[in-house]
Amino acid sequence: MKTMSSLDFEHLSPGQALPSLAKHVTVEQIRQYAEASGDRNPIHLDETFARSAGLPGVIAHGMLTMAFANQMVTDWLGDRSLLRRLQGRFAGMVVPGDDVTCSGTVASKDEATRRIVINLVVTNQRGEKVFNKGVAEAEFPPQRSTNHAA
Amino acid sequence: MTDTRWVGRSYETAPFQVTEKSIRDYMAAVGDLRDDGDLVAPPTYAMVYGFDAFWQLWTDQEVALDVAHLVHGEQRFSFQRPVRPGDRIRTTGRLTAINTRGDMELVTFELKAVDERDQPVSDGTALFIIRKP
Repeated sequence: MKTMSSLDFEHLSPGQALPSLAKHVTVEQIRQYAEASGDRNPIHLDETFARSAGLPGVIAHGMLTMAFANQMVTDWLGDRSLLRRLQGRFAGMVVPGDDVTCSGTVASKDEATRRIVINLVVTNQRGEKVFNKGVAEAEFPPQRSTNHAA
Repeated sequence: MTDTRWVGRSYETAPFQVTEKSIRDYMAAVGDLRDDGDLVAPPTYAMVYGFDAFWQLWTDQEVALDVAHLVHGEQRFSFQRPVRPGDRIRTTGRLTAINTRGDMELVTFELKAVDERDQPVSDGTALFIIRKP
């Protein structure tokens, strides 16, 4: 049984904050992401290689951070199929052991298209932005008639 | 410095068969485990079915990007429809720009994914940053 989202387009308003989402990033998760995504670039998997490339060590895939931002939005929407757009800038490296927090705010709402735009940011445990200029856009289904019809 | 004559080169993935296992492996990897009943892939799964286009670019010996110093700088996606098990998706990636900013090289890669009826599934733009060694 599909549960209905508690989100009601009519009651959303700009300025509203989304529930934040916190994630602890581990070497194991980065390996698991590499397997699931196919992206086995050694900068994500091989400590020696990563150092030789001038990095502090292995780094998480940017797309893992974007997946966290994606999850925060779709958990809030209650439906993955509503997302129409997702974008952002990988502003800083995420390394194993980091605690990252995704936050979002409703930036605008368009009644005609039933779309909302959400601004997103992901910060690490030092408050540094690791994902910024984040934007998500979602489109809500047409409003159902409330059966006042004769 | 990458030769700008490769701007315009494109890469197409083989049809990617979306399976329940592939979606669930991805969900487990990113920790996005909410079950809607109707299994819809997280939208960022676009990086999974489209990944081979990235890989072809990164391993193209003629273009010869300095992948050891390449990081993903920005990403944009637009989603035209949800992705479910059973979908067969082809992604075309096109190298559309190579620019320099200071001591960095910026490589723009545009993506377009379609289903077995050539209907749009998603499109996107990746910006890679190559740091000078």
